[in-house]
Amino acid sequence: MTFRSKLFVNFMLALLVSVGLVAGGVAVVTRRAFDELNRQHSDALVAQFQREFGRRGQEVLHRVQGIADGESTVRMAIDLSRPNADVSVYVNDGRGVAQSHQLDFLDFVANDGSIISSAEWPARFGYKMDWVTQKEDWATRGSFLMKLDTQDGPALALMAVAAVRVGDKNLFVVGGERMGKEFLASLVLPSEMRALLYLNLDPTFQPGNLIDAAGPANEAERFAPLIERERQQPGEETAKITWTIDAASAEIFHAIPLAGRQNELLGVLLIGNSQHTVVTLERHILWLAFGVAAIGVFLGLLVSWWGAARVTRPVQKLAAGAREVAEGNWNARVAVRGGDEIGQLAASFNQMTQELVEQRERLIQAERVAAWREVARRLAHELKNPLFPLQTTVENLQRAKEQNPGQFEEVFRESTGILLTEIENLKAIVGRFSDFAKMPQPEFGPVNVNDIVRSGVKLFEAQFSAVGRPPITPELHLEENLPIIQADAALLHRAIENLILNAMDAMPAGGVLMLRTTHDGGNVHLEVSDTGTGLTPEETERVFTPYYTTKQHGTGLGLAIVQAVIADHGGRISVESESGVGTAFHIDLPAKPAHRAEAPAMEREEEQKEA
Amino acid sequence: MKLRLCLLLAAISAVLAGTATSGPARRPRYGGTLRVEIGATVNSLDPSAGAATPQEAEAKEQLDALLYGRGQGGADAANGGTAGNGPFRVASWEAGKRAVFAANEDYREGRPFVDSIEIEMGRTAHERALDLELNKTDFAEIPAEQARQAADRGMRLSTSRPNELLALVFLKARGAADDARVREAIARCIDRAAIVNFILQKEGEPAGGLLPQWSSGTAFLFATATDASGAKEMPQQIAGSPKLVLGYDSADTLEQSVAERIVVNAKEAGIALMSRAIPAPGTPPVHGTEVLTPRTVHVDAQLVRLRMPSPVARVSLTAFVRTLGPLAGIADSPLPQSASPEDVYYSERSIMNSGLVVPLVWLPQVYGLSARVRDWTPPVAGESWPLADVWLEPEDTR
Repeated sequence: MTFRSKLFVNFMLALLVSVGLVAGGVAVVTRRAFDELNRQHSDALVAQFQREFGRRGQEVLHRVQGIADGESTVRMAIDLSRPNADVSVYVNDGRGVAQSHQLDFLDFVANDGSIISSAEWPARFGYKMDWVTQKEDWATRGSFLMKLDTQDGPALALMAVAAVRVGDKNLFVVGGERMGKEFLASLVLPSEMRALLYLNLDPTFQPGNLIDAAGPANEAERFAPLIERERQQPGEETAKITWTIDAASAEIFHAIPLAGRQNELLGVLLIGNSQHTVVTLERHILWLAFGVAAIGVFLGLLVSWWGAARVTRPVQKLAAGAREVAEGNWNARVAVRGGDEIGQLAASFNQMTQELVEQRERLIQAERVAAWREVARRLAHELKNPLFPLQTTVENLQRAKEQNPGQFEEVFRESTGILLTEIENLKAIVGRFSDFAKMPQPEFGPVNVNDIVRSGVKLFEAQFSAVGRPPITPELHLEENLPIIQADAALLHRAIENLILNAMDAMPAGGVLMLRTTHDGGNVHLEVSDTGTGLTPEETERVFTPYYTTKQHGTGLGLAIVQAVIADHGGRISVESESGVGTAFHIDLPAKPAHRAEAPAMEREEEQKEA
Repeated sequence: MKLRLCLLLAAISAVLAGTATSGPARRPRYGGTLRVEIGATVNSLDPSAGAATPQEAEAKEQLDALLYGRGQGGADAANGGTAGNGPFRVASWEAGKRAVFAANEDYREGRPFVDSIEIEMGRTAHERALDLELNKTDFAEIPAEQARQAADRGMRLSTSRPNELLALVFLKARGAADDARVREAIARCIDRAAIVNFILQKEGEPAGGLLPQWSSGTAFLFATATDASGAKEMPQQIAGSPKLVLGYDSADTLEQSVAERIVVNAKEAGIALMSRAIPAPGTPPVHGTEVLTPRTVHVDAQLVRLRMPSPVARVSLTAFVRTLGPLAGIADSPLPQSASPEDVYYSERSIMNSGLVVPLVWLPQVYGLSARVRDWTPPVAGESWPLADVWLEPEDTR
């Protein structure tokens, strides 16, 4: 992963964490705000219901009181106060009066508690309604909730009682309004809210007793836990019911216990607040937040990419400069911008490359001087041997001319022969140097390295086991599936010959010559090793230097030629050696030489021209 | 001995009741149209055509009597025929709505006093009472339970002797009702006095037997008092506390009120009883509900009205047994061998002992009359309206 990528990833992580924290914070704050809003909404509705409930109670009370104050009721009371009054004439009055006063329940009850007329259950006339005659001040009691027996079963009603007193007898007017779906339908509720009423008329929870404005509530069983809690411990409580997997289907129900005269739980009013709008709004806000966050992340991505690029561009240039230097371009320079750490680093880099170039120049100069000295030494050494006989022969000729002219002819013939021989030697020496200087440019073609190795070894088979010389055992470990590479077969053959000759020279006492070929993909690896005397570390470092030799009669050009051939093929050669154990040369040849492989040859030609 | 003395007293009271005379006679006059309103709708005057409901059958009998004579019915008068044996003949006919009968000049017992009778059919009890008060009609039947209120409003009423029995009949082979203890518990808990005093507004009599006192003279031997404590004890002896259904005619408000009262009585006695309306044949179903018919509604007991076909106790008892027999399974009950009060009583007692029939109240027939109607006499049991004997006071002479 590049430095820019790492920097970009770090920027993005920081950005995502920041955006995530902000989004999470917004979500939490939003949810809390909506929860608070819901709570306030529910509280307002509960207060509204309680006001409405109180108003209804007052209304019922006023209606009942209105009936009690009516002329017909007073007349009934007067009539009933008489001894042996006939109550049967009033048996049907209840229903009509209840209808005219819009009451669901109405009973006229005599002083002894017997029902004179009942609107909701006309057939109950004559039976007792004892609770009415209990000592209670109905004038101050107000309205109250009550469980009533009706023809259709028990019912919950908001009741009020008014008494008409004539003499020492009372006529009670008991009226009320059914707490049922009509009552719920009459409640004015905001949209997305609804009211349900559980009629606590049975010992256990009965789904059928839960009603809404339309009748029996759907899925009433879902309310069972809330109702049961209310039944166990009455008190205002809130519960959330989610009808489907969609959170927007949820409703928050606020339970309000409804108690009767004896504080017994008669019903539970459930104010439901749909969460659809809240959840939708919350989702909208969250989606908006996500959208903004996504845009922020996208912009952050672009900015991070641009920032990372801006920050890493000088570093990249430094890296590119360093790569160029590593590849040999010591003249690489990096533009210095600004005085920050990167600018100082670029300046230091430029200074370093400048120093390196200067040091290289100095080193090249020194090496060139050393090479010329070595050439001069070798040339002097090579030329000194033939020059001394030439000088001796010429002096013999001079001495024979002066001291023994008669034998001069004979001496002259012998001396000219020697002179010609030595001059030939001189020409040979000059020729070898000339050959090295004139290394030909390789001509590439398909080459099987194994064939080159086999032909090279075959060339020296006779010398490996020559009479009077300790035998050398060649060992070939050639990989059969070696790929064909593009190479100059003649130059490669010459290089291998030189390596074999070098190994034979290193094994004067005989030994093992091992040649191994392997491949790595399309590249071919060749190893030539011997069990000879080996090289010292200093010799190992200089072994490829032209004209450097450890042998008495060597020219020091053999391994230099090998290195030149390998370099011309775009390959690499290295040596490892241990004194007294042996030496191994490792050659890596590419399947196809790079174009720049020709550069060394061109450089060498230039060097030759310079030379 | 005590029983014989009671039966003698009953016979004397019955004879005295039969010889009772109506109000002072005035000189009759001919002419005028008597306006009559009835609740039922008669769809055909053909004597051979059946009636869809008991109400129609009853009304048709009355119209037949006007056209064909009392207790007669002539097939030759069908389809609005102009000739007949009755005091009237058909002048115009709109099936189920209106009919005009003209006086039959050739009536063998003499021409009716009125020239014609206009009959409006399908009028509710409320409409009939209102029309009487507004003088839009001259003659209409008034439900007994509304008679008191009508009288209080100043309406002119004529009441017959109680001749219609309202009874609770346990239907045969209906499970819970087969238990005699259940039947007895229900019979004991019924407060007949409350039904008479409150529901019937004192128009009627509590019924302990199948015949009224004025007919049999032995009705007082059958108890009508409530035994609430005894009724409360009996359900505790019955395992399983059966739930019973008491049916009533959906078109009969009196039956409904009585049924609901019996349900309250039973509830106070600890008996699970509920009332249920039995739709009259041909009643259209309420939208979204199943079609209910008397056969599809399951009831264990049922309220029935039994109108006496004759003032003679034996005849009425025999008719009641034949009517109730298929319902309550008392068809095999012994019928009175003779018209003697003893035979009738023993037969009646035998039926009552079965506990399958619980007499509740005796109802009279109440007729509303306009001020111009003269010489109206309420018919005795089994007789039709004597409208041929009625004459109308001229408007200017009233």
